[in-house]
Amino acid sequence: MIPVALLVTIGVFALARISPVDPVLVFAGEDRDPVQLEAIRHQLGLDQPLPVQYVAWLSHAVQGDLGRSFQNHQRVSEAIIERLPATAELGLAALLISVTFALGIGIISAVKRNSLIDLFSTSVTLMGVSFPGFFLGVVLILLFSYVIPGRIFPPGGYTPLIQDAAANLRYLVLPAVTLATASLALNLRQVRSSLLEVFGLDYMRTARAKGLREGTIITRHALKNALIPVVTLVGIQIGAIIEGAVITETIFSWPGVGRLAVQAIPSHDYPVVQGVVLVSALSFMVSTLLVDVLYAWIDPRISYAGAGA
Amino acid sequence: MAGTTVPIAIGRVSDDRWASALYFLRRNPRMIVGGAIVLAWIVIAVFAPWIAPFDPIKVNVTDSLIPPGPGHWLGTDDLGRDVLSRVMWGSRVSLSVGAISVSIGLLVGTSLGLAAGYLGGKFDLFIMRGIDALLAFPALILAIAITSALGPQIQNAMIAIGIVAIPAYARLTRGQVLAVRAREYIVAARTIGASPLRIVLRHIFPNVMNALIVQATLSTAFAILAEAALSFLGLGPQPPYPSWGQDINYSQRYLPNLKWWMSVGPGLAIFTAVFAFNFLGDALRDALDPRLRRSG
Repeated sequence: MIPVALLVTIGVFALARISPVDPVLVFAGEDRDPVQLEAIRHQLGLDQPLPVQYVAWLSHAVQGDLGRSFQNHQRVSEAIIERLPATAELGLAALLISVTFALGIGIISAVKRNSLIDLFSTSVTLMGVSFPGFFLGVVLILLFSYVIPGRIFPPGGYTPLIQDAAANLRYLVLPAVTLATASLALNLRQVRSSLLEVFGLDYMRTARAKGLREGTIITRHALKNALIPVVTLVGIQIGAIIEGAVITETIFSWPGVGRLAVQAIPSHDYPVVQGVVLVSALSFMVSTLLVDVLYAWIDPRISYAGAGA
Repeated sequence: MAGTTVPIAIGRVSDDRWASALYFLRRNPRMIVGGAIVLAWIVIAVFAPWIAPFDPIKVNVTDSLIPPGPGHWLGTDDLGRDVLSRVMWGSRVSLSVGAISVSIGLLVGTSLGLAAGYLGGKFDLFIMRGIDALLAFPALILAIAITSALGPQIQNAMIAIGIVAIPAYARLTRGQVLAVRAREYIVAARTIGASPLRIVLRHIFPNVMNALIVQATLSTAFAILAEAALSFLGLGPQPPYPSWGQDINYSQRYLPNLKWWMSVGPGLAIFTAVFAFNFLGDALRDALDPRLRRSG
C-alpha cells in the first residue's frame, strides 16, 4: 500500500503542476509587480526544482499541513476539517437510506423471485445506475420545494445538527435521498444476487430438509453468507463519500468538502483542490484496506486460506 | 458437379448466418432495445445540424420560456432557445466525449495490459503499481481534478475521462493475457519463432476482444455520465455551446418559477443514453462471455 500511496501523492502533486495557469499570479491577485511576484514565487518555494518542491510538499502534507488557500489564506487542512462533519453527516445518512432499502427490498426481491416486487427491484437497479444524480436532485427540489404546496423540504442550505436538529433534518432529506439513489441501485443488486446465489447452495437445501422455518433459514443461514459481499461494497462506499458528495453538495448548497473543492476550481485555488483530492484518495485507499481486513475477519474461509498458505 | 454444389453451399451458409443472427437477437431482446436507443442517439448526433428544428445558440427573447407544445416540443429557455434543438446538439458533445475518452482508455489501457501481462517481471510490477495508484482515486474526483488543472474545455474532459478509464482496460487485458500466455498454442507460436508483437497481436489479443467490447460499451455509459457531471460543474464545453449537464445546471435558477422543461429535456437525454449503453453492455456481456455473466 505504501508504494501506491506514494504514487498517489506524486499524482496529486503533479495535478497542480500541469496547469497552464501560474499559481503565483493567482496567489498575487491584482498585484502584478515583477519583484513582488518573484518574492511570492520564492516564498511558495516554486523557484525550486520539481523534486525538491515535491519533497517539501510531501513532508508538510504528512504533518497535516496541506498549505494555505490562495483565496482566503486559510489553512487547507483547517478548511477540510471544518467541512468534514457536514460531508460525513450527508454521506452516512445517504448510506443508511441506501443500505436499509437495499436490504429490505433486496431480501423480498430474492425470496419472491419474478414477483412484482422483484420486477420493481430490478427496475430500480437499472434506473438507479443510469439516472444522473444531479438531475434527480433537480427533480426532487422541483417537487418537494416548489410544486407540492407547503414547501415540504427547502431547496438547499444547512443548519448544524447541534444547533437545530429538526432544521438540520429538513435540510438533510433531499440531498441524502439524492446521494443514496446511485448506491441503492448497486447495493440492491448485490443483496439480491448474493442471496440468489446462496439460495442455490447445498447447506440451504439441508436447512430446508431439516424442516426449519423459511424466516429462520433466511435470517440465520442465508443472510450471514450473502451479506459478506454487501459489507465489502458498503465499506468501499464509505471511503468514496467525498466523491459522491461533490455533485450533491453543489446542487443543495451543502457546505461540505465536495463543495469546497468545486468552489476552489474557478479561482484556480490549487492547494484546496489538491488537499481535497488527496484526502478523498487516501480515505478511499484506507477504506479499501479496512474492507480487505474486515472481509478476512468476517469470512473464516479467507482467514483459513491465508493461514494455510 | 462442383459448379452446382458450391452456390447451394454458400446460400445455405448465408441463410444459416441470418437465421442464427435472428435467433441470437430473439434470445437477447435487451440488445435490440439498448442497440436501438444507442443507434437513435448516434443518428441524432450525426445529423443534428440538419434535423434540429432551430439554431441551438441563437437568442430569441420574444420566444423565451415557452412551455412544451407544438411549436417547441420541449419548450424554450429564458433566452428563447429551443430546448429540443439544444438536446439534439448536446448529444454531439456527449457521444463524442464518450467515443474519444473510451478510445483513449481502450488504446492506452489495453496496450499497457498486453505489455504488462506478456512481459511480466519488473515491467508488470511497475505498470500495475501505477494502475493501482490510478484506481486509488475515486473516478469522478480524478476526472474533476484533471479537468480543473488542464482547464474547462471539452478536449480536457475527454482526456480526463479517458485517463480514468485506463485502469479497467489494463487490468482486464492483463488478466486475460495471464490466463492464456501459458497455453499450448502460445508456446507453439513462440517455439516456431513468432515475434512477441505477433504473438500478442495475432494470438493473445483476439482472446481479449469480447471482454473489451463489453467494457467499452459499459464505459461509454460512464463517460457520458461523467461528462454530464463535469459540464454540470462548469468543467465541460463553455456556454453558449449546448451540453446536457451544463443546461441542467443553467436551468436550476428557473426552478422556483416552475419552468421545469428546461431541465427535463437534457435530464431525460442523459438518462436514456446512459441507460441504453448500460443495457447494451449487459446484454453483450451475457451474449459474448458466459463466464463474465456467471461471475458478474
